[in-house]
Amino acid sequence: MSDLPEYILDRVFDAPRDMVWRAWTDPALLARWYGPNVETIIHKFDLKPGGVWLNEMKWGDKSNCSKMTFQEVVAPEKLVWHHTMTDTDWNIAANPMMPDWPRILLTTVTFEENGATTNVRLTQIPFEATAAEIACFKEAMAGMDKGWGSGYAILDEMLRELRGSGNGK
Amino acid sequence: MARLDISLILYNIYVMEKIGYIDTPPNLDAVFAALADPTRRAILTRLAAGQASVNEIAEPFAISQPAVSRHLKVLERAGLIERGIDEQRRPATLKAEPMALAVDWLTQFREFWGKSFDQLDDLLLTLKQSNEQEPDNE
Repeated sequence: MSDLPEYILDRVFDAPRDMVWRAWTDPALLARWYGPNVETIIHKFDLKPGGVWLNEMKWGDKSNCSKMTFQEVVAPEKLVWHHTMTDTDWNIAANPMMPDWPRILLTTVTFEENGATTNVRLTQIPFEATAAEIACFKEAMAGMDKGWGSGYAILDEMLRELRGSGNGK
Repeated sequence: MARLDISLILYNIYVMEKIGYIDTPPNLDAVFAALADPTRRAILTRLAAGQASVNEIAEPFAISQPAVSRHLKVLERAGLIERGIDEQRRPATLKAEPMALAVDWLTQFREFWGKSFDQLDDLLLTLKQSNEQEPDNE
């Protein structure tokens, strides 16, 4: 039992497990759904422990790169990787806005047969993280469950104000 | 508020920097730490209704004026509020951008997988349909 903050996302997909597994592990299919509303380019995808997945998400003339290093590959049940944000040369890089965001998120995806459907659970926890990284992730995770409703209410108010005054000063 | 997506959020930060609307992106760690406290969130809610002095802010709370001052200092360091130069009153004013970016960041993290999974749903439907009618075309 650890007290590391954990992000958990459960989802049931209406497809047999082999098909869901294929959608996660065939880079041509993976690129079609991974990354919300961006163009995803998979530069390398070596599905084995120690192998890497080099991923670029593009929009306009900007892009965002990340490197995933597989730790466990158990077809068609389980994928484990180290998830890191990188610069365009695939070196691990902190986000300047978020210096204490965990450098490595240990990401586990499990696929469980459920009749004709598939239960997928994704978890992310900070890996070999500093106290500051753990605290940062913890605050962000806690913020998702509580308090952000009021964050949005305040934000709406402010945006109304900004619009009213023609973008501040 | 309109739906947010990762590209839009990152683009917004980029543009806001470019046009000088924000000089340097705020340190979101400090913003999160500041927002993690319910009293400080309540203070921000109060300030959303307009600027206020320390006394005015302290009034509805069961905490001392120095305690409110300490909270204001945390909020100011995070860039969430601005203090007036009037020595007596030093009215506090809400600043929208850092909070917008922090909320966007969280939204982006939360929605990254959620929205990707929606897209996976669509893909799986397509795969199933092409399986059913023999995969003879792409």
